[in-house]
Amino acid sequence: MRTGVEVGGTFTDLVAVDGDDIFLTKVPSTPSAPDRGVLEALSRSPGPLARIEDLVHGSTVATNAILERKGAKIAFVTTVGFRDILFLQRHDRLNIYDLAYAKPEPVVKRRDCFEVTERCDSQGRVIRPLDVEAEVERLLPQLKAGGYAAIAICLLSSYVNPTHERQLQAELMRRLPGIFVTGSADVSQEFREFERSSTTTLAAYVQPVIDAYLDRLSSAVAAQGFAGRFSVMQSNGGRLPSEGMRRNAIAALFSGPAAGVVGAVRQCGRSGVGNLIAFDMGGTSTDVCLVTDGRPGISADTTIGGLPVRTPVLDIETVGAGGGSLVWIDEGGMLRVGPQSSGAEPGPACYGRGGTAPTITDAHVIRGTIRPEAFLGGAMTIHVDKAHAAFEPIANELGMSIPAAAAAALRLAVANIVQAIQLVSTEKGRDPRDYALVPYGGAGPLLAAEVAEELGITTVVVTPNPGVLSAFGLIASDFSRIYARTQRFTVDDDTGEVIRAAFADLEQIARRDFATYGLGGELDFVLIAEMRFAGQAFEVPVELPLDALCRLDRHAVTAAFVAAHERIFFHAGLPNQKIEVVGFRLEVARPVDSLPKFRERPLGRPTAARATMSGEAGSFEAAVFSCPDLPTDETFAGPLLAEGFSSTLYVPERWSLTRDASENIILTREAT
Amino acid sequence: MTVDPIDYAVISQALLSVAREMGAKLIRSAYSTILREARDGSAAILDRDGYTVAQAELIPMQLGTIGSVFQACAAAYDLDAMTEDEFFAINDPYSGGQHLQDVFFFHPIFVDGRRIGFAASVAHHLDLGGGSPGLSVNALDVHSEGIIIPPTKCSMSRDWNGGVLERLLRANVRAPLQTMGDFDAQIAANRIGIQRVQELAAKYGGAKVEAVMAAFQDYSERRARAGIAAAPDGVYHGEATLDDDGLSDTPIRICSTVTIEGDRLLVDYEGTDPQVATTLNAPLASVLSATMSCVKMVLTSPDIPFNAGLLRPVDVVVPVGSILNPRYPAPVRARMLACYRAFNATMKALAQAVPEKVIAGGYDATTSGCLAWLGPSGYSVYLEIFGGGFGAGARRNGCDAVDSPLSNCANTPVEAIDQDYTFFRVEDYALLPDSFGHGRHRGGTGFRRAFRILEDGATISLYSDHFRGTAEPLFGGGPGTTGSCEIHRGDEVISLPSKAKADLRKGDLVVFSFGGGAGYGDPADRRPAEIEADIADGLMSREAALSAYPQLREATDA
Repeated sequence: MRTGVEVGGTFTDLVAVDGDDIFLTKVPSTPSAPDRGVLEALSRSPGPLARIEDLVHGSTVATNAILERKGAKIAFVTTVGFRDILFLQRHDRLNIYDLAYAKPEPVVKRRDCFEVTERCDSQGRVIRPLDVEAEVERLLPQLKAGGYAAIAICLLSSYVNPTHERQLQAELMRRLPGIFVTGSADVSQEFREFERSSTTTLAAYVQPVIDAYLDRLSSAVAAQGFAGRFSVMQSNGGRLPSEGMRRNAIAALFSGPAAGVVGAVRQCGRSGVGNLIAFDMGGTSTDVCLVTDGRPGISADTTIGGLPVRTPVLDIETVGAGGGSLVWIDEGGMLRVGPQSSGAEPGPACYGRGGTAPTITDAHVIRGTIRPEAFLGGAMTIHVDKAHAAFEPIANELGMSIPAAAAAALRLAVANIVQAIQLVSTEKGRDPRDYALVPYGGAGPLLAAEVAEELGITTVVVTPNPGVLSAFGLIASDFSRIYARTQRFTVDDDTGEVIRAAFADLEQIARRDFATYGLGGELDFVLIAEMRFAGQAFEVPVELPLDALCRLDRHAVTAAFVAAHERIFFHAGLPNQKIEVVGFRLEVARPVDSLPKFRERPLGRPTAARATMSGEAGSFEAAVFSCPDLPTDETFAGPLLAEGFSSTLYVPERWSLTRDASENIILTREAT
Repeated sequence: MTVDPIDYAVISQALLSVAREMGAKLIRSAYSTILREARDGSAAILDRDGYTVAQAELIPMQLGTIGSVFQACAAAYDLDAMTEDEFFAINDPYSGGQHLQDVFFFHPIFVDGRRIGFAASVAHHLDLGGGSPGLSVNALDVHSEGIIIPPTKCSMSRDWNGGVLERLLRANVRAPLQTMGDFDAQIAANRIGIQRVQELAAKYGGAKVEAVMAAFQDYSERRARAGIAAAPDGVYHGEATLDDDGLSDTPIRICSTVTIEGDRLLVDYEGTDPQVATTLNAPLASVLSATMSCVKMVLTSPDIPFNAGLLRPVDVVVPVGSILNPRYPAPVRARMLACYRAFNATMKALAQAVPEKVIAGGYDATTSGCLAWLGPSGYSVYLEIFGGGFGAGARRNGCDAVDSPLSNCANTPVEAIDQDYTFFRVEDYALLPDSFGHGRHRGGTGFRRAFRILEDGATISLYSDHFRGTAEPLFGGGPGTTGSCEIHRGDEVISLPSKAKADLRKGDLVVFSFGGGAGYGDPADRRPAEIEADIADGLMSREAALSAYPQLREATDA
């Protein structure tokens, strides 16, 4: 049996696949001790834990530790003169018109920041030597007195020459056994000292928390007889054996959204769909990610709570538009959706738990796309009257009927999601019409066709059980790691040789690491060069063809870069303008043994054949299907609803639905 | 044409994201550290008559004025005769611009043969010629500050890519790789704006997009009027002073009188001192921008889009011949300093009307520091903009070590400097303990940055303020601290004035210090836990805390 357990903010989801059998469950998350929820979910899965061969885990433990400031007490050590870099930050403001602006608060206090005398220059040459023993001796009393669980080190220029940093790290580990010591070179090798220092401190801050958590969890499952492979999801969409993760906790930071993307990619692959836009709409927000040829975009430029993180993560954009997002009218009379949300408590007005403010979920209830008897398999009572009452003030102010106001709110939510998708597609030089939209999360399938319509997308692929796709993504994921290195040179006649040497070097490191993890077998490689025109500061990622690596020369590299630059920035430089490679990224994957089956969980109840919906232009009739009962290869025309255990799919007019042999539901837009 | 409210909401937000994408790509494809690291540039979408609709929120000072700079071009040319191949360029402070370094490009957006708007970008350029590399502190007039581009209609096909405008500019700048690359980034940003607005028009129709452009300005106007109407009517007066004009020691006074009447607001700078012989003069466009930024920050919520609608309920009167509206050909490079005092004077006036919404004075100076060196392979010019500590407010301490309110330049990372410059190195970059004014909320801390000079023959130029005067507190708080620029040469310490140029020697250490902001409210009301935290973090000495905060003495005595 293969089991994935995903801890989310509200629910902990479990997907277990055993040959043709599939089991799903959702239990409430237990934020104070997330492992309790995990064990509860596992206790409900069929059979003893000893039957699980492959257990994969994803959680928000690292994210929450940072957002709620519940990480370890850490110290920060840097080059003399730069103790304050975490507080100086970039000297700018994220909101330029806010007079009461405060910078994002670092996870370390100024009193816990220390300096060592040393300095290297941008070529990696030592300008001031490091007397490692003397410096550590000097700092030791304070480091001991501080009661730190971890130490983060980021020295200037360590991205080009990490020798001092490594010496310091080794000496601190020797003198302070039991304390985690993270060097910046372990987590990020990019220039810009504030961003690298921020990443290093965040890594050190979550390291002891993740280590203790994974230790606790693996002991608990072992005690219950589990003896299989235990691995953990990373932010880059691949998993690592839990032992590897305990040494590199920062890699788990955005693992939740990444798991969903992987689930979408794998399950859509079965229908031959490789170009897709993953669209995950949950209770408070929507995450979107562009996937080309089965490979999600990677970004090394993210933030958490306003603090920069420079490790490779899936390029996911988040917008504050979820089922619980509030619908409101601002003081200038403009209709708005989000970013505030009704949260888990009180929740949307229709939940009847005291909420009176209108939300997107209430708008669906008014429109009829959420039917009270079908919501969460009928497990929760929905108050249609309360949804109407919540929308009444908005309808009055806009001079519309209540259904028209609800439809307007849904259109606006769609517009917000469309903007997020444009950030990952058009702004990166990609046309969304070349992609299929893949909705998941509880609220995604309800709006998918309308989002697709706005973007000119004509195909929507809905996987089985879209409400728990992330948990499926866990067991469907490959083992992976991304290796990055800074290596700056001008593109010239030697470039082909230099690239081949760099690849050989990185490949060797990767093969050694995977062997250490006990992961034999074939490895897949993708090599990216980070390139720019000489004088620029931000790089464009350019994929280099590994199958033609032996023939790669300056002309091929130049042509690939210029095309990528023009696609994004609308200009291609001057002929013969000097081009630089700044670094390489090697994405390494060990494919998962086989892809588990995935099919819709039976609903176990009859559904109405028809329902009445009310849209902007008045009410209309729609057919209602039960997802598990949809026959294969038969086409049905919208408007219709297809209800499943974890979510409802809305197929509007001009769209039709077919379930294919891979259990995916394909929506197609009628040609105009 | 009337637009339904949902189309309006959708298209207006889309226009904002167009401007944001333009701004982001302007920065990310730029070459100079002043644009790509400090992000001293902005971008906007204007309507067909050149009124600002949506802007990328980068630099308040540039954003407040894009539309008024455009009007200088509109006055010089017949807009209806403009073709898709043409664009406007301008930097002339005496025909609507701010200072020469900010060059504006406006490209028209056509849909089905009709002009429906303009894409605009502005960038602060590293060097545009003039008397000295990067920064001409001793300029006699605007001509010695660099090349002047009056409102000019150019042709992309004829004048750029080897054409006359490009060749002329290339020959007149000292660091052509960076500067010409930055111009290309501006043009590309405008092309992105054109394409995205055309995509919107293809989807919704050009007429609808134009109608939304108008409605979006009305929206900002409505929200600005609501904000002004919520403030009590009255006539309020505020003053602020600049240290000196860089020649004498006499402070320069700036006076602001704010009249609030219903949903209208008038700012009058009558009483302000006359223009000066040095670069401190602020052209009218920059004063309008500073004033509007102040009104927006104090009276409206931060999320209101800054567009032409916001300007409608506000009138600004500036006496001609004053330092805030100089006569040609006075030099204007350091305009930001007088603009900050106009900002301070107007803020102090508003403090009487809405004490909970204002903040105390901050370091509030743009310090422009420039190191230059003529090496074997041409000029090497480093220019960086520094802020200081923010003033404290009713809700919070002032922000520590950040760019001042009218600007938003990021620092240049030390590792980026190490890569790009061989004639100097940053040796420290640190917060300055005991640099803020005390109060119920304290001012933001100041900071220092020190540069080791590695070659003979380098020069330093700077302009700054608050080297003598300090940030002014509000409601019983304490003042901020002064800034300084020193050259440490062996045992000798040479203090430079706030507007200066000096020759440097190999081995010199140039130390810039930027003061902290002033406090807000009575220090006796400050929470003891916050005071202790500042002491533990080394931001405040116990001696300073004991003398400023009586509650600490009582706790110690007890």
